[in-house]
Amino acid sequence: MTVAAPIDAGTAASRAARVEGWIARVLRAGTLLSVGLLAIGVALMSLAGWSPLDATWPALDLGRIPGDLLALRPEGFLWLGLLTTLSTPLLRVAASVVGFLGAGERRMAGLGTAVLIIIALAVFVAQRTAA
Amino acid sequence: MTVLLLLAGGGFGAGIFGSLLGLGGGILIVPLLTFGFGLPFREAVGVSLVCVIVTSSAAAGVYLERHLANLRLGMLLEVFTASGALVGGLVAFLLPDRVLAGLFAILLAYTGATMLRRGVTAAREGAGPIEPGEDPAGPADTPGAFRAALAGPGYRPARLGVGIGGSVFAGLVSALLGVGGGIVKVPLMYLVMGVPLKVATATSNLMIGVTAAASAIVYLMRGGIDPLVAGPTAVGVFAGAMVGSRVAQRIDLRVLRILFVAVLALTAIQMTLRALG
Repeated sequence: MTVAAPIDAGTAASRAARVEGWIARVLRAGTLLSVGLLAIGVALMSLAGWSPLDATWPALDLGRIPGDLLALRPEGFLWLGLLTTLSTPLLRVAASVVGFLGAGERRMAGLGTAVLIIIALAVFVAQRTAA
Repeated sequence: MTVLLLLAGGGFGAGIFGSLLGLGGGILIVPLLTFGFGLPFREAVGVSLVCVIVTSSAAAGVYLERHLANLRLGMLLEVFTASGALVGGLVAFLLPDRVLAGLFAILLAYTGATMLRRGVTAAREGAGPIEPGEDPAGPADTPGAFRAALAGPGYRPARLGVGIGGSVFAGLVSALLGVGGGIVKVPLMYLVMGVPLKVATATSNLMIGVTAAASAIVYLMRGGIDPLVAGPTAVGVFAGAMVGSRVAQRIDLRVLRILFVAVLALTAIQMTLRALG
């Protein structure tokens, strides 16, 4: 009985540290990937002689991105980089939800889910109001 | 090519300044893009939000690894910052540029005053950031299991209701003005909720990414983010923030702070003039 409490506390702390480590890795990978994609896009812009303020602003078309990437067109890398940038914090929240669920912390997992629902609502509302 | 380099260079400068002074780059990027490159205010805000997410994600990973950020508190408050940011992102498209510029001028003046006060206090008291473990607000007002789950070493967040309300406001400010909202969140957690300053700074940084993403999605889907401007600026800001974090120990921040306050004051005047038309 007297030994159980410290072991539980230690386990909880190590679980929390593991969740934080996971999330840190998600954030680092997402940041490096997004900045890398943006940097390639900027380099291709430079090679193509585009000036950011002169060139026509390419619209976001998810279906075109794979083709733009294969053809090494700057807009493909820039849009993918921007989408990765915006997705990184959301992946962090998703990783937190999984981590907290695994650690048995349902209330924290619920908060993370609430954030993801708000983001989904943002997408929905932006789509409706943009039309 | 020249404009591209200037954008990247401007982002680099904003990243260094922001990193050295503990601010997100947003407070500098919006004026840089509006006054330096003639972008409409709302477009500048969209680009700034992207840059803010990049720097926040980079820094938040480090804070988590060092166990400085309070992930649980951040997850609670970001439900409300994200809600505020969603509303702010929608409202931003209804407000005229002049109103947004006026609001930004107020934010600049507030930030400048805060930095000056911080400088004076630090000089007078020799005060540094409060270490985790100190509890400036004393014990929390009402104990509870949930509040206990939000506690960190030596502190327990107090006044959750005020924190939640303030978080909604921080989200609104972030979405309307393209800043991370740390200027609201850090004092809120530190002064009102009794969270140690270092933890408040780290937790605010963690929350900034989600807060900015909630409104950036609205900007993106409504055509408010120019990828050709956002790309070079974000890469520059990221590089600047990396350099800034490495040279911070070798730079006299008092001189830098005075210079920064002067820049903020000039920019606030320009923003006010723009707001007045």
